[in-house]
Amino acid sequence: MPTVVIASPKGGAGKSTTAVLLGTELAHAGAKVVMMDCDPNQSLTLWADRGPLPDRISILSSVSESDIVKTIKRHDTDGQIVIVDLEGVASRLVSRAISQADLVITPMRATTLDATIGVRALQLISEEEEALDRKIPHAVVFTMTKAIKSKQHSGIAGSLAEQGVDLINPPLMERAAFSALFEFGGDLHTMPAQGNMEGAIENAAQFAQAVYQRLAGEAAE
Amino acid sequence: MTDKPFNIDLSRLKTREKDRSAQAVEKTDRAGEELGFVAREPQKKRGRKPSPRTGQVHAKVMPGISEEIANEARRRGVQQGVIIEEAWKLYKNKSGI
Repeated sequence: MPTVVIASPKGGAGKSTTAVLLGTELAHAGAKVVMMDCDPNQSLTLWADRGPLPDRISILSSVSESDIVKTIKRHDTDGQIVIVDLEGVASRLVSRAISQADLVITPMRATTLDATIGVRALQLISEEEEALDRKIPHAVVFTMTKAIKSKQHSGIAGSLAEQGVDLINPPLMERAAFSALFEFGGDLHTMPAQGNMEGAIENAAQFAQAVYQRLAGEAAE
Repeated sequence: MTDKPFNIDLSRLKTREKDRSAQAVEKTDRAGEELGFVAREPQKKRGRKPSPRTGQVHAKVMPGISEEIANEARRRGVQQGVIIEEAWKLYKNKSGI
């Protein structure tokens, strides 16, 4: 089954939150998910240690540059979705993980700084597509967005869309429940209510569904 | 809102064939390096590991003996200290030390 790589060389873009939301929502919808923590800060591992892992999720910690390709190969089998959470730096680990992706998601806050640095991941994907002679599907998701879209957000989204970048809709909004995942562990369905819980669950589920549609669509090609 | 807002059809999710050869990894590394995606993990120390033999004996022996010890060590591909250690072991066994 597909490998989804969450990549951006920008720290604090929301990679680990995106990975946890995607993994837990896909598992909640019935998929078996393997989550790989390739971030030296071990955000996914911290999340996993906070509470019982949701059903159908397993986690692999401390996957490094030298073993990323073979670790993905070992788990990239029919029957489970692999989600790779990467470190927020430009490293060889990132480029190797991207080479193994069926879909690369670049989380990006709707700021000029995030967009400028995040675009480097898109450039890398393009270079790897050429080097490996293989299409690497990729998409951008805006993270920590507000209910009212800023001019900056609209401008960046418009610019990316003009360049043909696939933007995942809905973006992941700034939600107390999303950040609380790293306090309580588990998923949105089991944690104590945080803010507008129903809105958070709906946002995460719609995001996961949008990713699933891309994976299913690509697989059907 | 239902508890399970969408269903996953697992049969629609298939893995794609990816090139995992050493050549493909090399091409990936090269493509990344051009954009500043370089190796950032600490590299392993190069070269020979330090010997655990840190003790030292200060022995003068007859010229022929030193040559024989050196030749035997070279023949076996070990340090001269290994020969001395073995000799000491034999001496201890013989002497009951």
